[in-house]
Amino acid sequence: MSRISHLQSPRAQALILLAPAIGIYTIFAIWPMIEVVILSFQRWNGLDADRVWAGLENYRYIFADDPVYWIAFKNTVIWTVLSVIFPPLVGLLLALGLNEKMFARGAMRAIYYLPVIIAPIAVATMWRWMYDPFFGLFNQIMTGMGLQGWIQDWLGDRDVALYSMFIAYIWQHVGFSMVLFLAGLQGVDRSLVEAARIDGASRWQVFRYVTLPALQVTMTIVIVLSTISSLKAFDIVYGMTGGGPAQSTQMLAMWAFTQSMQIFDFGRGSAISVTLLLITLAVVVPYLRWSQKREDAAR
Amino acid sequence: MTRIISVLGALAGVATLAGTANAEDLTIWTLNYSSDAQVAALDASEARFEASHPGVNVEIVKRGTDEHKTALRVAAGSDTGPDVYFMWAGLGLGGEYVKAGLSLDLTKYYEKYGWSDRVSTPSLAFVEAYGPGMNGAPYRFTGEAVYYNKSLYEKAGITSEPQTYEELVAAAEKLKEAGIPAFTFGGTVNWHVMRLMDVLLETTCGAETHDALTGMTLDWSTTPCATEAFQELKMWSENYILSPFMGIDNRQSTSLFLSGRAAMMLEGDWQVNVIKEGANLDDFAVYPFPTGTGRLYGFAEYLYISTKSKNPDLAAEFLDMFSSTEFQEEIKGAFGALSVNKSVELGDDVPDLYKTWKEIFATANGTFVNGDQAFPLDVTTEYFRIINEVASGNMEPQAAATAMQVFISNRS
Amino acid sequence: MSATTTFEEDNITPARRRDPLLVVLWVALVTVAAIWVAPFVFITFTAMKSNSDVMTTSAFSPPTDIAWENFSGAWKKGNFSNTFLNSVIITAVKVPLGLLISAMAAYALARIRLRWGRFLLVFVLFGAMIPFQVMLAPLFTLVNSLGLIDTYIGVILPYLAFGVPYQVFILHGFFRAVPKELSEAALIDGASHFTVFRRIFLPISLPVLAALLILDFVATWNEFAMALVLLQNKNMWTLPLGLMSFQGQFSNSYGQLNAAIVMTVLPAVIVYLIFQRYFVSGLTSGAVKG
Repeated sequence: MSRISHLQSPRAQALILLAPAIGIYTIFAIWPMIEVVILSFQRWNGLDADRVWAGLENYRYIFADDPVYWIAFKNTVIWTVLSVIFPPLVGLLLALGLNEKMFARGAMRAIYYLPVIIAPIAVATMWRWMYDPFFGLFNQIMTGMGLQGWIQDWLGDRDVALYSMFIAYIWQHVGFSMVLFLAGLQGVDRSLVEAARIDGASRWQVFRYVTLPALQVTMTIVIVLSTISSLKAFDIVYGMTGGGPAQSTQMLAMWAFTQSMQIFDFGRGSAISVTLLLITLAVVVPYLRWSQKREDAAR
Repeated sequence: MTRIISVLGALAGVATLAGTANAEDLTIWTLNYSSDAQVAALDASEARFEASHPGVNVEIVKRGTDEHKTALRVAAGSDTGPDVYFMWAGLGLGGEYVKAGLSLDLTKYYEKYGWSDRVSTPSLAFVEAYGPGMNGAPYRFTGEAVYYNKSLYEKAGITSEPQTYEELVAAAEKLKEAGIPAFTFGGTVNWHVMRLMDVLLETTCGAETHDALTGMTLDWSTTPCATEAFQELKMWSENYILSPFMGIDNRQSTSLFLSGRAAMMLEGDWQVNVIKEGANLDDFAVYPFPTGTGRLYGFAEYLYISTKSKNPDLAAEFLDMFSSTEFQEEIKGAFGALSVNKSVELGDDVPDLYKTWKEIFATANGTFVNGDQAFPLDVTTEYFRIINEVASGNMEPQAAATAMQVFISNRS
Repeated sequence: MSATTTFEEDNITPARRRDPLLVVLWVALVTVAAIWVAPFVFITFTAMKSNSDVMTTSAFSPPTDIAWENFSGAWKKGNFSNTFLNSVIITAVKVPLGLLISAMAAYALARIRLRWGRFLLVFVLFGAMIPFQVMLAPLFTLVNSLGLIDTYIGVILPYLAFGVPYQVFILHGFFRAVPKELSEAALIDGASHFTVFRRIFLPISLPVLAALLILDFVATWNEFAMALVLLQNKNMWTLPLGLMSFQGQFSNSYGQLNAAIVMTVLPAVIVYLIFQRYFVSGLTSGAVKG
């Protein structure tokens, strides 16, 4: 009974409620983030007992000498730009369409969303098989339509491999943007839309001057979430190309993993991770401040 | 809630079961093998050892290549791990673990059991290479050579097996004229195309220079034969490889070979079992890639005893049993043509391909290993990248040799 | 509100329904939907064909003799009974436990005045944005140093850690919107925060919890990168790892490979089809309204 009296202060109660989540989160999410920064200044192969202090050597190496780092960097940028444009754009179009009342609307929404819930690694495996140069779906269709000239080594040709992968990524991610936009469209005032129509506004004008402004907040959120999820592209690269051919589809998250967990150069791998972390923070911190401001304003 | 608690309880139970290592347990970590015969041979070793050592429980854990490498790192940093582990004997692989102190010095067991006299000479090459002492016991020695489809050769009018590199190129040209791709490779697993580069380097450079290049003591960019080898690689991939090949893996490549889509593949002696399981052995034959040096292209695989093993004597007994004449007789042919045990002879009932392999081994004049065996891991990764760049026509041969040297120079 | 309703009713006059633009739109949407489903059809068909059929028949021709043995073969070779069980155990422990600790923390942050409460909230939210992919190596060394590689606990703890931020974020928003009166009376009566949390807040947040449960189930079930690093022992692998290894080993057994894909994907698809509406509400409640 005396224990309970100790627990009467709200502070103590809060502490107990918070402890498990904050504790586990700090140890297994925050500490590794600090550790990755520490490791990036060290040399370690995962086998030796000692880690050797290396100063900025790992950073110098990845920026100046690593033949793959800038390829991975460039691909990450291309990938991010593409993922900020295409899945949200297609998602918005689908949402606008599926916001209208029509036959089989629910079924169609379900179909577009279905790929989102599938394991990315399974998506990679599926698409890798569809891209199979000899028996896969795409080349079969091309052959069937007499378009032999269009046949590609979808994942083996460095000029198309990254984009082949991106098609699979769109297929999986469009549903996610679509659902967010559909929710955002619920917030569009229908009476405003009707009033505009009665005043003789065209469909485009209604979209441009009524719907679009109302979707602004949703748009920001979708774009930020798309950016973040594109920066962590890992499963799909690992499963589809492993970074190949000739590292031409390598990306930062995957290259950091390769350096650390396959070449076992933890220092360089961590240095690559830190650069990715900084890029992510450059997106996240302004976003967090923006959403905090929004929240304060809403209060 | 109670359900969660009971699940947690069950979990704890599982965890303790997994954690307790009985003193008479022997854990062996090795690879997933693609052929059923190899898996069966491993299972047989487990059964035989348990039968001769009552109370001992042998567990053979099989993993994919990458998982296996990572798992060993994990073991290195903790007290768990195997008593015996498999590793390729090369510098960047087995050698690195020896240097890191994960491998037990087996000198006393070599003396006790007389392994040096028992196993074949080429397979012993790495035992004392990374010292101190003697590390690892040969488990398997394999060679790689050119398998070809007899009927496709016939169709192209090739009447005899090429004896020189020039003859091989001429044969490839004949095949091409007959509309048959000469070779099949799978580009997604980088080491497959690398095999072609390895034998080309041996061809253009000769034994000594090749070794110096892979030993990183010679400058790639100023050694003309390195550029030449890349030049040849480019020539082969432009003309004589079943295309597209960068988007498929080694197994798909094998399937294509077996279904007659290409005339040749550069594969190991273990592939005989794969052919047997997927096609008719009589349709195929094998000859060494004509590098001109007469050296055998191949590599050794060892079983090492971990320094963390609580039972090294028992582990050594297992290694002794594994290379024993008796057991090697029993699993003959499962891991390739030649047993590491010198006194194990192939019987008369083995496929012709094995007899050819035996001849290849017997007539070889030394060996050279795969590039990924010779280099440290980071150089291997870069070697893969450069080979793929050249093979897919994105890098010129001279630039490739230079890139290789730049990477090597930057390491130190 | 009532105005909107009438407008909506106006919308469904017969004249509007035959709006030509809407018909075009509908046809377009159905066509794209067909493309979206095509991969599933192709995979399922291939999964039911023998290897020789795969090589000789066209992609969308339905299998003639259904090769059920692909499924049993893949199940056995891919060690599916094992990976399936591991996935079930890890998900069954992680998901409810994660929700519980997140809900506790979210309650404390939302309903108990703390000096560092606001800082803690930002500290936790921060984690929702950071990709764990950048920390795979240190996670590996951390879990390894605790001796927890290849254990359920060793993978569940990091899963919990990376699940906390999003769930706390959503639940915090929800709890804060609960009217003060609901809890204050109880607190004045001398009930502890534990009681208020359990008796009042948990019951009213059941719909949100259900949505988060479903979302988290799918995320945990599908997780690959962390499991790849933390589970090295084949016997401990989860379904995604098993599928990946299957692809590496049997890439030329096309029928079986596709059967393996179908078996990996199916549980999540079933859960999705049953609990569809929770997915949407779970996603949108946090991201858009929050």
